[in-house]
Amino acid sequence: MKKYAYFPGCSLEKMALSYHNSTLETTRKLGVELKELEDWNCCGATAYFHVDELLAYTLCARNLAIAERENLDLVAPCSGCYKNMYFARAHLKSDLDLAEHINYALEEDNLKFTGSSAVRHLIEVFVNDVGLEEIKTKVSHPLNGLRVAPYYGCQILRPRKDHEDIEQPRFFEDLLSAIGAVPIEFPLKLRCCGGALIITSRPSALSMVRNLLQSAVDSGAAVIATACPLCQVNLECYQKQVNQEFGIELSIPVMYFTQLVGLAFGIPPKSLGIGSELVSTRPILSYAER
Amino acid sequence: MVTKPSFSEEIANLLHATHANPVKTCIQCGMCSGSCPVARFMDYTPRRVIAMINAGLKDRVLAGNTFWYCASCYYCTVRCPRGIDIAELMYALKRYSIWKNQYKDGLVGPVFSETFVKTIVKSGRSYEPVLATSYLFTFGVQEFLQEAQTATSLMLKGRIPVFPPRIKRLENFRRMIKRIIPLGGD
Amino acid sequence: MSQQKKLLIIDDDPDFVQGLKSILEAAKYNVEAAYNPKDGFQALQTKHYDLLLLDIMMGRGAEGIMLARKLNKDPKLREIPVLIITGIREQIAFLFPGQAVHPHLLPVDELVEKPVEPALLLEKVSTLLQAAETRKAQTK
Repeated sequence: MKKYAYFPGCSLEKMALSYHNSTLETTRKLGVELKELEDWNCCGATAYFHVDELLAYTLCARNLAIAERENLDLVAPCSGCYKNMYFARAHLKSDLDLAEHINYALEEDNLKFTGSSAVRHLIEVFVNDVGLEEIKTKVSHPLNGLRVAPYYGCQILRPRKDHEDIEQPRFFEDLLSAIGAVPIEFPLKLRCCGGALIITSRPSALSMVRNLLQSAVDSGAAVIATACPLCQVNLECYQKQVNQEFGIELSIPVMYFTQLVGLAFGIPPKSLGIGSELVSTRPILSYAER
Repeated sequence: MVTKPSFSEEIANLLHATHANPVKTCIQCGMCSGSCPVARFMDYTPRRVIAMINAGLKDRVLAGNTFWYCASCYYCTVRCPRGIDIAELMYALKRYSIWKNQYKDGLVGPVFSETFVKTIVKSGRSYEPVLATSYLFTFGVQEFLQEAQTATSLMLKGRIPVFPPRIKRLENFRRMIKRIIPLGGD
Repeated sequence: MSQQKKLLIIDDDPDFVQGLKSILEAAKYNVEAAYNPKDGFQALQTKHYDLLLLDIMMGRGAEGIMLARKLNKDPKLREIPVLIITGIREQIAFLFPGQAVHPHLLPVDELVEKPVEPALLLEKVSTLLQAAETRKAQTK
């Protein structure tokens, strides 16, 4: 059984509780064990990097060191957390002076960072570690041609980590196909949702969200699938404000990929947190009926 | 080491650890501005800011909203043909402007970031309701009401945290932070 | 004994460095400057200095602390007296409002806060240099 240290991140406690619940339900079905990281702290999001980068690395390193103590790789469902911890680990591994200094701070919590725990995004676990073939075997309620816009967002692929395709990735589409859905061609699938700009520069973010929603709707999507709580909140919870700002009438449900996978696995919608959305997902549920 | 560094060199020094972040080698191709999802809302586009840095226009760069409007989506960084880490440059400018307390009036970004960091230092976790105080006062009446409406809807769906979370080993955490930022007498 | 003392300033603020330099040079010190921790460390390794004036907030964050600790690990560099001159309280004023910078959290000899009074600065520099001389004489 694959086992990971699970880093929910601040959003999954309440705002994105449905992501948390659907994550646990679907991974359990796939025989993956997610053990919540003991006493995890906030990853620092973007704000910490605006103040002191050494402090930001320390926050991430603390989480990494706790995962190391458990001898487990760390998996994060949020793209922001994932990006922070992935690159904190990479930078500390390549800059020994930095690692030495951060470890000096970690001593106060009896922790030490060596970089032995890798950092994975949740969707990677599904697509690479478990694999699409295995996922297909668990699909009891294929999503019968549901047209889904695969919204990758930005920090899941950027900055570049290795030689992966960051301009034309297909793994999200492949996952959606594996559960019986129809991934539509969504030209803005890698474009930022605005993230924290929804607070720090609302007009810009509303415009960015509007473009994404419009593109998804124009491409014929019935639902947008996301892999990050910030993306989900920006795209879903502000649709009313987008409509008010631009005098339009867009409405499209936005769900976590784990909720769609969960429906395809025949898991009851309530267990997947379905029902807590501001834009109803009721029309989607019928696609999973046998 | 003999002449006083120019603004462009100050920025290079700020980025000393980002191995070879060659801001000076910018060819002004505009790939960054073209990829930036927020560029049209910025006083100066990323390309322009880099030109301004290289021309030594310090106060104008700091008076603009560009780097505080950056969403850190990294499109610029991965596409720059010169390999300049532009998103990292924006982070560095944010830090610089906070340390110097020099930034455009009316920006929400600096206050928001400061509130966010304070919350984590205090409890080890972020807490959305407290963050609201950093921006609500900058809203006009209509925006405020819209936000209140969204917040209420989310609350009714049980998506807003009620109690601020804390990590368990908070004392260790705070001592850990003091080793990085030696503030706080005992 | 009348050999001119050589000082190194590591600080990213060019205006402040210029100000500091003029005070110190007027007091007949030989002063050089590095504007980031990497250049600073390199200077310390390649040339001899009698005293280091070190800023805290540079580059990614409180890198002055990181550098001071690194110097402490080097048997030769550890001998150089370090005077920290920091504006950290103002630079990140919001984070720990009203709290003092904690000298004993730092592996340095002395700490002063910006803005620094010229008289105080020269006094600290001279005291540290003398203490270093005394130490050297004792180990001979």
